[in-house]
Amino acid sequence: MMSLIEAPRSKRLRIFDVLGGHGIRRRLLSLGFHKDDEIVLDSRSILRGPILIKNLTSDTSVAVGRGIAQKIMVEIIDDEQ
Amino acid sequence: MTTNNKHPDVIFIGQPNCGKSTLFNAAAGLRAETSNFPGTTVSHTHSKVNVNGKILNIIDLPGTYSLNPTDDAEKVALSHLFQEKPDIMINVVDASTLGRSLEMTFELMELRFPMVVALNMVDLAEKKGIVIDAQKLSNRLGIPVIPTIASHGRGIKELLETVVRILEVKQVPPVLTWSRDVEEAVSDLMESIPEDFPVVANRRFTAVKMIELEKSFFHKMLGFISPELTRALSQVKQDLERMHNVPAYEVIAAERHHLAMKIFEENAKVKRGRVSGTLEKLDDLIMHPLFGYIILLAVFLGFFWIIFKVGNPLETLLLQPFEQLRVILSQQFGEGVLFYLTDGLLQGVGGGVAIVLPYFVPLLFLMALLEDVGYLARAGFLMDIFMHRMGLHGKSVSPFILGFGCNVPAIISTRILESRRDRIITALLIPFIPCSARTTIILALVAFYMGPFWAVGFYFFNMLLVGILGRVISMFFKTPSPGLILEIPSLKIPSLRNVVNKVVIQLKAFLKFAWPILIAGSVALGLLQFFHLDRIVNIVLSPLVVKALGLPQELGVTLVFGFLRKELSMIMMLQALGVNYQALMTAITREQLIVFTVFVSFFIPCLSTVAIMWKEIGRRIALISVALNVSVAIILSIIIRLII
Repeated sequence: MMSLIEAPRSKRLRIFDVLGGHGIRRRLLSLGFHKDDEIVLDSRSILRGPILIKNLTSDTSVAVGRGIAQKIMVEIIDDEQ
Repeated sequence: MTTNNKHPDVIFIGQPNCGKSTLFNAAAGLRAETSNFPGTTVSHTHSKVNVNGKILNIIDLPGTYSLNPTDDAEKVALSHLFQEKPDIMINVVDASTLGRSLEMTFELMELRFPMVVALNMVDLAEKKGIVIDAQKLSNRLGIPVIPTIASHGRGIKELLETVVRILEVKQVPPVLTWSRDVEEAVSDLMESIPEDFPVVANRRFTAVKMIELEKSFFHKMLGFISPELTRALSQVKQDLERMHNVPAYEVIAAERHHLAMKIFEENAKVKRGRVSGTLEKLDDLIMHPLFGYIILLAVFLGFFWIIFKVGNPLETLLLQPFEQLRVILSQQFGEGVLFYLTDGLLQGVGGGVAIVLPYFVPLLFLMALLEDVGYLARAGFLMDIFMHRMGLHGKSVSPFILGFGCNVPAIISTRILESRRDRIITALLIPFIPCSARTTIILALVAFYMGPFWAVGFYFFNMLLVGILGRVISMFFKTPSPGLILEIPSLKIPSLRNVVNKVVIQLKAFLKFAWPILIAGSVALGLLQFFHLDRIVNIVLSPLVVKALGLPQELGVTLVFGFLRKELSMIMMLQALGVNYQALMTAITREQLIVFTVFVSFFIPCLSTVAIMWKEIGRRIALISVALNVSVAIILSIIIRLII
């Protein structure tokens, strides 16, 4: 388990938990980001800038600031399985 | 509800970027705006349509991701939905993100108002490899599902005819049940709701919303809640939280999510591995960490270049008739009170037509274009890192850009920001953005008399000041900004109709709100001159104007009352000094010119801006804003006077 900031790019990830307060959780939920959703981090990113997440489950893209990315915990989905 | 003498209310509701406003426009002919940047539609639009002899009153609500609002724009949408119960709802759904969109469809179904789903952008979904069986989906949901392609006008007739049919039979959606333990919790709470409680829509919906909604909004919607009910509510919430190990609202959200995924899988076929097209390749370039910024800079430079290229000649052209009319007026009325009154009126009207509109309309048009393409959201993404330095995030970019046109709609558009903190900081900074009225002053004074590089320098200094002020203001807030969460919609080919409609809507905020205040201020100033009160004001202000700023005493009225008609500060200055434009430098020095421009630019923006701030953000912040602007204007002018 790791935060989105440490997660590798272009690998399938699963949202494990969102550590933030209710505001962030609600906002992510309403944008269609749930626990157990499959996501991929976009390879394009700016040094110290926001992170682009593509949600494979709902097929949407969302940019999140680094502060929020730190609070989204993910695990890598093993392709071999 | 419907009465016999009233046309039925049909609301269009859907998530941002689902093509809702495009569909609305297609249905209405014209008169709505659409947007590709989440949440910029902040007011709703009405129109009437005739479907085979039946008149429908159609209403377009701002896009909202769910019925649990997280920003003020969404709250506006939901207050409307809850308070003015519609006769029927059209839930517009982006077929290419059906899985997510269904969650809100379920929420709407829980209201149990008659409803129809418009499965929009089916063409785009098919391109993405998603094929949906609309009939099967309709059977599963128990409500009509009509496939539409709003941009081509396809499916609209069938949609509206279905609306009329459902209105006649008054068919309401069925209840889709959740897991047993959640259902039990909900019905426990339903039983605790007193008989005379002012329920929203129905008892089940009210109970669910009690569990889900944020407290403050919930109280606003439902009013007073008895202690017994509060106890029952926290008991139910605790039970849910204990059983599921997540906050109660997430239990409910998860129920809808699982149901949405299930129904999506049952009714749609997804082919993976689609090829990337030209737009995707362009997107890669736009979001590139290096080229992205080069493009951003080019877009912004081009943006302002076009605005000035269009605005400047237009301003000159439009000002002429007003000047001529003025000359005729003075010949007709002489120096009587009638002259000052009509002159004030004329200058107020002229200031709007000839000074604000030539810059504002092109700005709105270009901004709407960038938004419709999907670039504005990407600019927010790219700018986020800079906005962080001033304690804000990427979503504040769009209110700031709007501020270059007119501060009034810019302050209204801060509704898209989720946190009150971000809203206040952004709103306090907007008055420091040079709007089109102040830009004309900077162009006419600094650029004309001192050269274009001074004007560019002035702009640069202005932006730096906004950055520094942002940093300083955010120090007063203990909590940091919640940070950026912004949906990045797919790039798309813009639609001219959407862009034009958007311009019209934004322009209305200026025409309806700012302009009348501008005209009134102008008339007031005319009267002030007639009664020679300006001299008294000048004498009173002379310590500030002469001693502190080093300007001629005659400019006192211009400086202080400039906020009544900011755009005319320059003309007022010429009048006060009794010289014409070409001879200005004989009356004041270069240094005085700079001090004057700085003071006028940063002093209280204008009466309309203060008024909208009062209305939108609150009295306290409006007063703070005035105090902030006055102090910054005085301090900066003195500093500048001392260094040059």
